[in-house]
Amino acid sequence: METAALIVVLVIALALFFDFTNGFHDTANAMATPIATGALKPKTAVLLAAILNLVGAFLSTEVAKTVSGGIVNESDISHSLLPALIFAGLIGAITWNMLTWLLGLPSSSSHALFGGLIGATLVGVGAAGINFGVVMSKVVLPALIAPLTAGVIAFVATKIAYGVTRRYDGKPDGRSGFRWGQIFTSSMVALAHGTNDAQKTMGVITLALITVGWQSTDEPLWEVKVACAVTIALGTYLGGWRIIRTLGKGLTEVKPAQGFSAESSTAATILASSALGFALSTTQVASGSVIGSGLGRRGSVVRWRTAGRIALGWLLTLPAAAAVGALAAVLVVWLGLTGVLIDAVLAVVVIVGLFLWSRRNAVTHANAMSDVAVSGKAVDLPEVPGPTRRRSRIELERAQARAERKAAEAEKALRRARKLEKSVGKGPEVKAARKAAERAERKRIEAEKAAHEWEVLSASRRARAELAEWESAQAEASNGEEAR
Amino acid sequence: MGIEIDWLAFFQVFLAALIGAVAIVTFYALGLRMLVRAGRVPLVTPAEFTDAITVISEKELRHAEKQAAKAAKKSPLTEGQKRFALVLAYACFLVCGAAVVGGITLIVVGH
Repeated sequence: METAALIVVLVIALALFFDFTNGFHDTANAMATPIATGALKPKTAVLLAAILNLVGAFLSTEVAKTVSGGIVNESDISHSLLPALIFAGLIGAITWNMLTWLLGLPSSSSHALFGGLIGATLVGVGAAGINFGVVMSKVVLPALIAPLTAGVIAFVATKIAYGVTRRYDGKPDGRSGFRWGQIFTSSMVALAHGTNDAQKTMGVITLALITVGWQSTDEPLWEVKVACAVTIALGTYLGGWRIIRTLGKGLTEVKPAQGFSAESSTAATILASSALGFALSTTQVASGSVIGSGLGRRGSVVRWRTAGRIALGWLLTLPAAAAVGALAAVLVVWLGLTGVLIDAVLAVVVIVGLFLWSRRNAVTHANAMSDVAVSGKAVDLPEVPGPTRRRSRIELERAQARAERKAAEAEKALRRARKLEKSVGKGPEVKAARKAAERAERKRIEAEKAAHEWEVLSASRRARAELAEWESAQAEASNGEEAR
Repeated sequence: MGIEIDWLAFFQVFLAALIGAVAIVTFYALGLRMLVRAGRVPLVTPAEFTDAITVISEKELRHAEKQAAKAAKKSPLTEGQKRFALVLAYACFLVCGAAVVGGITLIVVGH
């Protein structure tokens, strides 16, 4: 019993450390957009995010119940083994998280946590220890569906935001007022983050407490709630420096209307999911929203290569963290308590080593950029967006009418010149009439060219998209060479 | 034993999130539009200039304010209509706030 208690204490400490890194890592995701558009000062944004994460953690416990009572079949696992397996799973999650953070790979803290737990349980007990139904319906499928959902909603919301505030007469449209709105929407994202992410740690700690008999229900104890809420808030507040350092690197192209729509979509998706107990990756949802809202802006195109790389990183997180968790669990299963202690030492060595390595290397866009900002790069946005379809149609009609008018003028001038030539020979009047005809002809050609240009606008957009894709590939190739 | 997936829950999340986000964005955008109609164009400059923000110079800001004032002056609406637009704008912002509070209450009460 004493051994189990010691392991549970270790699990709680490690889970709270995970919670802290989660808040530390995700501050940028919640607050990067409002700071990028100038809606909030960085310091205010960070403080607001910390407070709202704290509040959000108390709003619901559905996600905590999913983690503590659904993923692992705790009744089928020996009570002396389960805390050690949870410990191994946490080590897998933290190691994978820190590694991807350092290498600048897209990842998700939440999926790393679930991956680690699943990997460790598979090694310790086998497939019988995992409740695959819950894993599929509450973790895997939401992971695939939620970013798409958020993206679609953000796309629709962005179209609405721009459509409602669009003016065709060039007068002020009031869009800078979305900056005010962003203060509220980004606050909602921070609140939603606290509601979903703090609960995952609550769930893990509750699971550990249930296994040693210190708790009977899967509802988290209030002490656990307070500890997790305070830890995630502290991590969020202390993670703020990264925002300030990495601000200029990513979301340079996000406009207030777009940021407002993206944040509304992120907050709505996470809050609705939390209410039903879906354990989401807030990073992935926020990234999906940024991509969707980018596509909602006129003239934007997807950089498929970048988008594909991000998606691949997301898909890899769960199995990779599971593999690390499984490795840690192998030691636990073979060596018992000694294995747990070796795992703890290894974890400390890995965490301190990675931390020192990260301190030695300067913070660059490769290792400290917000994952959401990285996702923003999956969409290519023009500095000056092309005209709307309605505007194109109006301009095309105007250009065609001008071309017809100029053609008629040219014809008339030519007829006049011929008439004069017949009546007075080759005098200065004829010369002037000829020149007028030539001028009218030139204008007709220009007008026809303008009309043609409006018609080929869509073709030029496609060409621009291909060029952006090519430039992105070139930049990647040169970065790869530099790294080598 | 087959795995049972509650697909309806995913649809519920999608629908709830769509309604929530679209309602907030639509009413907020309408509120801004109404503010413009009421002759009170919101000109909100960035809180702090960083690398990420497109810097607006003082000159540009003055120009924008001048343009807004000119547009407000030229508005064909009567004073009464402008006041009505202002009331509508605030009503739209209230609906947004109510949607947010309602959503959170639903989560807390549901829990």
